[in-house]
Amino acid sequence: MTTDELEQLLARQPVALLHRLARGRVHRHFRTGKRRLIELLLQHSSHNRAGFESDLQALIGEQHPRSESKSPRIHRPAAIAPKKASSRGAEPASDETAVSLSAWLEGLGVPAPQPFVPDPWQSEALSTLNDTDVVISVPTGSGKTYVAVEAARRAMEDNRSVIYTSPLKALSNTKYTEFSRIFGADNVGILTGDRQENGHAPLLIMTTEILRNLLYDAASGEIDVRLDTLGLVILDESQYLADPERGVVWEETIIFCPAQARLLLLSASIGNPQDIADWLTSIRSTTCRLVRHSKRTVPLRAGYLHPNGKLVPLFNTLGIPHGHPNQLHPEAKHLFLEYEEETLPSGRPRR
Amino acid sequence: MPPSIHPVDLVAALRQKHLTPAIVFLTSRRACDEAMEVFNHIDLVLPPTRQEAIALALERITAQHPSITEHPLIPIVQRIGVAAHHAGHLPTWKIAIEELMRQGLLDAVFATTTLAAGVDFPARTVVITQSSIRKSRDFTDLTIGEVQQISGRAGRRGKDHVGFAIVTPSPYIDLTVLTKGFTGQPEAIHSQFTISYPMVLNLLKAHPHEHIQGILAKSFAQFQLNQRAELLEQKLDALHVQMEPFGPRVCTDWITQWHTFDHARRHRHTRHQTHREESPEITARLPFLTPGRVVGLGRGRGIVLRQYRSKGQKNSMLTILRSESAVTECPVTSVKEVFDRTYDCAETPTYPWCSTETFDRLSHQLEDLPSRVPVLPILVSTDVEPLPDAVVQSLGDFPCPTCPSRSACQKDFTTASRLRQEQQRHTKSIQALRTSLWHRFQERVEVLQKFGYLTLTTQLTSEGEWARLIRIDHSLLITELIRAEAFTGGDPSLLAGILASLAHDDDRPGAFPRISTGLSSLLGQVRKLAESLAPYEDPPLLRADVAALVERWVADPTLTWIGLCRLTTMAEGDIYRLLARTLEFLSQVQALKSTHPGLAESASQAITLIRRGVLEELP
Repeated sequence: MTTDELEQLLARQPVALLHRLARGRVHRHFRTGKRRLIELLLQHSSHNRAGFESDLQALIGEQHPRSESKSPRIHRPAAIAPKKASSRGAEPASDETAVSLSAWLEGLGVPAPQPFVPDPWQSEALSTLNDTDVVISVPTGSGKTYVAVEAARRAMEDNRSVIYTSPLKALSNTKYTEFSRIFGADNVGILTGDRQENGHAPLLIMTTEILRNLLYDAASGEIDVRLDTLGLVILDESQYLADPERGVVWEETIIFCPAQARLLLLSASIGNPQDIADWLTSIRSTTCRLVRHSKRTVPLRAGYLHPNGKLVPLFNTLGIPHGHPNQLHPEAKHLFLEYEEETLPSGRPRR
Repeated sequence: MPPSIHPVDLVAALRQKHLTPAIVFLTSRRACDEAMEVFNHIDLVLPPTRQEAIALALERITAQHPSITEHPLIPIVQRIGVAAHHAGHLPTWKIAIEELMRQGLLDAVFATTTLAAGVDFPARTVVITQSSIRKSRDFTDLTIGEVQQISGRAGRRGKDHVGFAIVTPSPYIDLTVLTKGFTGQPEAIHSQFTISYPMVLNLLKAHPHEHIQGILAKSFAQFQLNQRAELLEQKLDALHVQMEPFGPRVCTDWITQWHTFDHARRHRHTRHQTHREESPEITARLPFLTPGRVVGLGRGRGIVLRQYRSKGQKNSMLTILRSESAVTECPVTSVKEVFDRTYDCAETPTYPWCSTETFDRLSHQLEDLPSRVPVLPILVSTDVEPLPDAVVQSLGDFPCPTCPSRSACQKDFTTASRLRQEQQRHTKSIQALRTSLWHRFQERVEVLQKFGYLTLTTQLTSEGEWARLIRIDHSLLITELIRAEAFTGGDPSLLAGILASLAHDDDRPGAFPRISTGLSSLLGQVRKLAESLAPYEDPPLLRADVAALVERWVADPTLTWIGLCRLTTMAEGDIYRLLARTLEFLSQVQALKSTHPGLAESASQAITLIRRGVLEELP
């Protein structure tokens, strides 16, 4: 749903519903008019769109059956009813529907081996990379490495050299072993602070600091041959851009990255990947596309293990209830309260 | 109930529900090590076939990395299939554990959250035991991004249908941090752009000074500052719209006009208030009622000792010396006559408000006073005291009192002036946002000019030419040390020791190996220099123990890794990281071959000396 659509949908709702929606979201919402209220709600929903929309749908769903059965005679009780319903409305699933442990544990096990098929976002990222720079922001473990490997393979087939950087030396070493296995030891080199192997290979792995230094040396005239044929720069773990001490290195690297080389930024899920894509578009000759998805390849379930060994689901839904941190499984909630009661020193105020 | 689940119970529970392999994130390295201790005495042994598989895989790894052949954890890993993995371990050990995990041979790995980003192996389950993380001395709550990074390790592609993130409480856990982390959107990231000295030198080497502002404008920092500036500009536009009804009236800048008028009016008002209480006769007398003045009161006469104002009295007060050395307080209104006679009076700040001699003398003089003393003629002006000139002038300039829009101005002034203040504030901050990076760059340039790395025309001096190659933390201190020829002796162990103390930024305490006199005196010099540079660059920790440790390792080639570890209480992994960081710093010094051949030579000697034993195994 786009913001405009959402705004129109909100505008169609009665103001009472908007106030219920605003409960807990907007401070002193009861003092605002409808238009201002919609504005505030939209502002608020920018943090958590999914949760907001699902709450809205739940409220709208509730509204319709009641409006049908409404009659002038029972007008008063009906006016009170929404109050009760709304506390439900914020947490659609109630106690009775909480997921059971056996259902929660179901599906555990090893899937049958399947031929590898790239996810749509992976193919999308690769095809986009032909024309533009790409920023990828996906959850941990969704297969960013596959994109990096394929992109490197394609660049190397075009006789362009590739630089792959990672933030940690240990990760560089792991990738060196991994890529050597894939592309053959002759095609992969590594440069770290104190290790230089196969420095003229078409695919070079290095820490981001080393690449930054290379770019500085190239800029000041001490030309490095490799940079002329450089076709692709892959920056892994780009969320390090926000690292207090080292983030600046990523910025320098991106600013000084040669114009002819494509940039591929791989990042874990972050809140503002569009900003990074916009930034790259604004400073580089090509545009930059953002490939983002938030669905994990392997779905996640959260559980609660009590110190006495009792295992219960953490949330009352099977998966993670995105945008609803309070939908705790009643049993988990109960056990945790009990735990806090016993472990907190008496007199210490509970948070 | 135990404060947190016992590691053995945890592993048993995970096994029973088929939730292994699992990564268990614990608060500290110690917690991981203690968990391992516990398994030492427990029979949770794996079936023999699995034990053999682990042994086989371990053999293959130790063949490559012999430094971990004797690792004390190996028996537990083999028997029980659990391991610890944290920054205190050697990288080779971590590689071995990661390899075993990748092959699916282990049931559980106990790791610290600090390393969540560096842990590059997935498992079926992650177990989270805390909601905060140690970040430089302090514990802070996990961010949403961090929780998702941790839980992201759960579920192996192709090996699991689902991944599990299991929370198990330990004292002081905050469940809401975790539930928010699971269900929330990760935080937006913000630029951490800083301008360092080597950056300035390198930029100025490659680009003319006038291009730099354009380059800085390309940073993500500026991009985000611009975003904020744009937000403010939108607000500014909105303010412009709100300001429209308050546009030019009779005078163009009526807000300022009204402001000054209002101010002057209020000012005059307060002046009146203070003088209202006293009649003109009294006011006229005040300047004459000074210490030493003889006055006539209702009964008898007296000499004024002081004049003062008292909070409870609406008139000025006098302290008066009466006959028989009595001292009384009375308001000026009780003075009936002011005589044309004064005596010298040496005032003091405390009772009786004059020196003892004066007091005695005045008492005598009061007794000896002739019965008739001429009265002082005091002129009383019946007019109201005129306003001070400044106020009169400012009021005279104002058209406001007779202006037709006066009432409108008065009514709108509060809103309009608030809006205008906001406008001015926003304009100022927008300007600051747009130019702050450039200002910081200029500040750095000035420091570099002061130290002689840059000429006044921002060209690199010969010093700057080599200094730009030192692209590490504390670069200013290092280049200044090189310029001061602190390392002239050419002793590689001293150089390595000093660079180690510069490179090591961890404050975990370590034991103190004996430090050589040469190193300790050199370290003293470095400390002094670092202190003098403190206004320009944060001083490093400069720990003597790590310096001594590295010096020992370089100076004594017969020292084994085990021997080195015995010298200190630092964990193996920390020593390794210290040496690796030192190598990095040394390789930067080594790059100064053309300008400082002697220094570069001893750096490369130090590098060869450091790289032995465990450090040779891994790049």
